[in-house]
Amino acid sequence: MSLLELKGIRKVYHQGKIEVPALRGVDLTIEEGEFTTVFGPSGSGKTTLLNMIGCLDKPSSGVITFAGRELGQLSKKDLAMLRRYNVGFVFQSYNLIPVLTAYENVEFAVRLTTKGREKELRERVMAILAAVGLEGLEARKPNELSGGQKQRVAIARALVKEPKLVLADEPSANLDSQTSTEVLEVMVKMNQELGTTFIFSTHDPQVMDYAGRMIEIRDGQISEDKRREGQYVSD
Amino acid sequence: MFLTKLAFKNLIRHRTRTIVTASIIAFAIFFFILFDSLLAGITELSYQNIIDYEAGHLQVVEQEYWEEEDELPLTNLLVVDRQLSAAVENVKGYQASSMELNFPARLNNGTNELPVVGKGVIPGSFTEVFALEDQFVEGTMFSPGEYKAVMGKRLADLLKLEIGDYITLLVKDKNETFNTIDAEISGLVHTGNPNINSNAVYLPLDIVQQALNVNNRVSKLIVRLGNKNLAMGEATLLANSLKTINDSLAVYSWDQLEAVSIAGAKQMGNQLIMVIILLIAAIAIINTVILTALERMEEIGMMKALGLQEKEIIYTFVLESTGIGILGGIIGVMIGVFGVGLFARYGLDLGALTGLDISSFGIPVLGKMYGVWNLEAFLYVFTFGVIVSLLSSILPAYWAAVKDPVKAIYHR
Repeated sequence: MSLLELKGIRKVYHQGKIEVPALRGVDLTIEEGEFTTVFGPSGSGKTTLLNMIGCLDKPSSGVITFAGRELGQLSKKDLAMLRRYNVGFVFQSYNLIPVLTAYENVEFAVRLTTKGREKELRERVMAILAAVGLEGLEARKPNELSGGQKQRVAIARALVKEPKLVLADEPSANLDSQTSTEVLEVMVKMNQELGTTFIFSTHDPQVMDYAGRMIEIRDGQISEDKRREGQYVSD
Repeated sequence: MFLTKLAFKNLIRHRTRTIVTASIIAFAIFFFILFDSLLAGITELSYQNIIDYEAGHLQVVEQEYWEEEDELPLTNLLVVDRQLSAAVENVKGYQASSMELNFPARLNNGTNELPVVGKGVIPGSFTEVFALEDQFVEGTMFSPGEYKAVMGKRLADLLKLEIGDYITLLVKDKNETFNTIDAEISGLVHTGNPNINSNAVYLPLDIVQQALNVNNRVSKLIVRLGNKNLAMGEATLLANSLKTINDSLAVYSWDQLEAVSIAGAKQMGNQLIMVIILLIAAIAIINTVILTALERMEEIGMMKALGLQEKEIIYTFVLESTGIGILGGIIGVMIGVFGVGLFARYGLDLGALTGLDISSFGIPVLGKMYGVWNLEAFLYVFTFGVIVSLLSSILPAYWAAVKDPVKAIYHR
């Protein structure tokens, strides 16, 4: 069953009187449980595409359907709720809240979606922090963590609420090879056990090795869409 | 609950900014409390001065006289008979009563002339109703039937008059005929009420009645009670009981006088100034919220990505600002308590401090003024400060919350 369907997506940004097209007619279907990477040169439209998929941005034209719901028809509140319960984001710049500890930054995401007992919530947060290798660092604030550790907190925050879809912009950019592998293993496990769909924007070959589908974007269009196990789709 | 926790954690995020903004609010609240205390002190003192030197607690008059009282007419005067005196003496808290015949006059010292308010009084009862006796700076009160006068020291100084000097009051009697009253100055007073010091000339009632050709009539009967708070209720009761004697009689309590309304209006004007001070606090909050929102733009974008609704983002900002308001309020109230404490204990001589005569602004007060504890004002200004902080943050918080999430995240 397809989780996402994008039909004829165009996005034009306006810089004064100049129109800058970021996406020029993207058609894309993402199935539930896919582990996908989106790659391409800088300015090709990867981030714009991720923002569209994550209901953060609206296309200038075209239709996006998320789990059967057409995003253009949803109110601001509905979009917020959709993001809250279904989408986890990992931003390249972490975007952690400086006054909260690593634990609290992750807790924030789970508190928004889950009304479980304190003990259960705590166990859930501690488990995901341990899974991304942050055991013992829960009480540290972002300014007391390295870049890689911050990135792992951001990943834990995206994963803890067990969303349908995780969107990650260069998730391994600040991680060493071993940590990157550990984190990717956590994601693969979630993908296999919970059927979570992952879409990464990345240049990292290590991440691409894990991907079951690789989509290349050039000049705002999909130039290549290939699947592993012999599947290959090309423009 | 988590958003509440986040808002309070954000309070200590930029300690200096929080403290500076809270200090501005605290400063505004402190000034409000102090000025309120000063105003309440001035008001209380001016009311007391009006009661002690001008109005007493109750005034019994002919209704028609009251309507024209500003012109000090010699028509619609009152006859105080035994029945009326008995009714007045039955008033709860009654201490004394005194008749007064007021008239316009021109005071002449032989070379210069000034318009004054003449007051015919019976010395014995007059000093029981009014606190004039302790205010003599020179000389003494006259006796009935003596061609002597008591006046304010300021008025005497203005006309270069001294004890023993003779004055002439040019008056018009009941029949509009010019007449004069010649009298020797027997006493000079300096009260806390500038109206008395600058405008009033007291003479024996019988002399005045004769000169004005009004027989035994007076302008009003003034009553002193044990407590000023009794006045309003007793005025109504007395008015009802007087209807059986003469239904044209009216009774007014001290707080129905024009001078009191003016003092009240001045207080309202000053409260407006206080509101302006608190608006400054509001601007401080708006400035802080805008600065904070600009700084946290990426964070706001992330919150939206996490699925927070605009109202939830507004909530965190508003709560944070309310926290600053509460902090500022607590500090303001604390230093306010200290300030009012000092002010109530040691007082303040505004005239000496500023070199201005504050009575020239129409406030019937002279000398040192003391602060008055007004717990209501503390509560009011604290609540108002918190509400101002809360309300003034809504608009900038809304501005931050409706930012496009993509623009916010990537700080475009």
